[in-house]
Amino acid sequence: MYELVEYLLRGALLGITYGLLAFPVSLLFSTTGSVDVALGAYAVLAVAVAYSIGGPVGILAAILATVFASFVVGIISLRLNRPGAVDHVTAVLGTFGLAMFLESLILSVFGTNPMIRQPFDTFWNIGGIRISPQTGINAAVCLVILTALFVVLRKTPFGRSMRASAANPVGASLNGIPVRQIWFATYLLGGLLAGVAGVLILYTTGADYSSAFTLTIWGFGSAIIFGMNSPLRGFAGGLIIGMVQALCSGYLPGAWATAIPLVVIFVVLSMGRMNQIVSTGGRV
Amino acid sequence: MPAVLRSRLAPIGLLVVIIAAMTPLIAGSAFWLDNSVLVAIFSLLALSVGMAYGQAGILSMAPAAFGAIGAFATSIVTTRYGLSPLVGLALALLLPAVVAYPMARAITRLSPLPLSIATLLLSLVLELAIREGKGLTGGYIGISGIPPLWFADSVFAMHVLSWGLVVVVLFLYANLTDSAVGRAVKTARHDPLRATADGVNVPALLASYFAISASVSGLAGWLYAHHLTYMGPDSLTMHVSIKVVLMAVIGGASTLLGPVLGAAFLTLLTLYLPAAETQGMIFGGVLIFVLLVAPNGVLGTDWGKLIARRSDKQPMAVRPAATEGTA
Repeated sequence: MYELVEYLLRGALLGITYGLLAFPVSLLFSTTGSVDVALGAYAVLAVAVAYSIGGPVGILAAILATVFASFVVGIISLRLNRPGAVDHVTAVLGTFGLAMFLESLILSVFGTNPMIRQPFDTFWNIGGIRISPQTGINAAVCLVILTALFVVLRKTPFGRSMRASAANPVGASLNGIPVRQIWFATYLLGGLLAGVAGVLILYTTGADYSSAFTLTIWGFGSAIIFGMNSPLRGFAGGLIIGMVQALCSGYLPGAWATAIPLVVIFVVLSMGRMNQIVSTGGRV
Repeated sequence: MPAVLRSRLAPIGLLVVIIAAMTPLIAGSAFWLDNSVLVAIFSLLALSVGMAYGQAGILSMAPAAFGAIGAFATSIVTTRYGLSPLVGLALALLLPAVVAYPMARAITRLSPLPLSIATLLLSLVLELAIREGKGLTGGYIGISGIPPLWFADSVFAMHVLSWGLVVVVLFLYANLTDSAVGRAVKTARHDPLRATADGVNVPALLASYFAISASVSGLAGWLYAHHLTYMGPDSLTMHVSIKVVLMAVIGGASTLLGPVLGAAFLTLLTLYLPAAETQGMIFGGVLIFVLLVAPNGVLGTDWGKLIARRSDKQPMAVRPAATEGTA
C-alpha cells in the first residue's frame, strides 16, 4: 500500500512535465484542428541547448531556440494548412519532417549522450518518500502557466479570438478576426510551452536525442485522455499518464513498463472524442 | 484499346520497359543488382504508403513496422521451423493485414489524424516487442541465416523476382483503384458523409484498404528478409518508415509510379549521402520542401500549369487534396 502511494506520487510528479507538453497539443488542436508532431523535438532541443550552455542564459537560449523552431513550423504549417483549404494530414506530415530534421540536428551537434542536470543535493522527505525540490519548482511553474493560459483563453480578447478561430475559421475571419495570425500565434505559444517543458525535463528526468517522438506521444496521450478542449484537462491527463508509467515501471518487468503506457494511449485514442468530428467530414 | 485501360496500363508498361532496358546494363555488377533489389523492396513499401495515404488519405507512419511483421514472420518459420519460404510469404501477406484491420477499426470512426498517431504508437510498441521477444525474434541479436529463396538463389534472380512482384502489385493496384472499391475509397476520403449516403460503410472500407496496404508492406518485408538473410531490431525501424513516407510523397503518393520513382531516387541518393546522423536533416528538409513546392509529388503535379501560374504572378494554389495524376 505504501509502495503504491509512493508510485502514484512519483508518477504524478513525473506527469507534471507531460501536462506541460499537453498544453500545446490541446491548444493547437482546439485552435487549428491540427497536431504538431515536432513538439517533442522542441522539448529535446530545449534540453540540449540548456544543457550545453547552462545557467539562466542557457534556459533563455533554450526557450528562444524552441520559439524559433516553432516559428519555422508555424510558417510551414500556415503555407500547408490555410483556413478554407485545410488538410490536417499534410500539415502533420510537415511537422513530422521538421521533427526528423531537429532529431538529426540534435544528434549531429550534441551527440548521443543523455542530457540531465540535477541542481539539488538535498531532498525533501514527505512521509518517508524522498523528493527533489525540483519537482516543487516544476509544479509551481506549471500552475503559473496553467493559470495564465486559463486567464488568456477565457478572459482576454485574444483568447476569445483564438476560440472563435477554432470554432469556426470562416465565420471568425468574416467577423474581422485575423485567423491566420491567431493560428501562427498558437504555434509560437506551443513552441514557448514546449521549451519551458524541455527545460524542466532537463532538470528532472533528462532526455537524449531519441526522446523526441516518445515525448510527443506522452504529451499527445495526456492531451487526449480527458478531451482536447481545455488545457486544464490536458494537465490532469499528464498526471494520469505519469502515474500509469510509474505504476508500470514499479510492478511490471522491463519492456512491458514502456509498452503498456503506449497501449493505454492507444485505447484512449480508440475511445476518444477526437474521432467524432471527422467522420462526417467536419460537418457534425 | 479503351482509353481507361490504356491509362491504367501505360505506366506499368513504361516501368517494364525501363527495367528491361536497365537489366543488361547492371547485370554484371553485383553492387547495382543488389541496389536494384533494394529499390524494388522500397518501391513496394512506398506503394503501400501510396495506397494508404495517396488513395485513402490515411497517413501511415508504420510501413516499415508492417514490413517488419512480414519479415519476422518468414524469418521465424524458415529458420526455426524449417518451413518453406512460401509459408513465410503467406504469413507475410496475412499477418500485417490481421494487425492493421482491427487497429484501423478500433479507431472507431477512422479519422485519419488519430490513426496516423496510432501507427506511430504501433511502430514504437513493435520495436519494443522485437527487442524483448528473445526466443522468437532473437532480441537484440536478431535472426541471421535466413535461407535465400530456392527459386531465386542469385542476386540476378532476386532482381527479376522483386521487380516482377512490383509489376504485379502495380497491376493489381491499378485495377483496384479503377474499380468500384477504388472509387468508393476516393469518395470516402474526400467526403465521408457523401460516401455514407451512397451506401458505403466508410470505416469498414477504409480499414480494409488500410489492411491491403499493410499486406503490400508485408510482401516487401518478406523480400527484404530473404534478400538480406538477416533480420534484426534495427532493420526496419521507424526511421525506415519515415524514409518510405518521404519516397511516396516525393514521387507523388496518389500516382501509380510516383512511389517507385521516389524509392529509386532516395535509395540512390542515400548511396552518396554522408554519415547516417545527418541524413535525417536532409530527409526532413527535403520532405518539407516537397510539401511546400509540390505537395502532390513530382508525378502528381501539373508542372505546366504550375509554371504558367507562377509567371502570371498569381499566388500558387496549394491544393492538398490531390487531383488524380495519370502517371
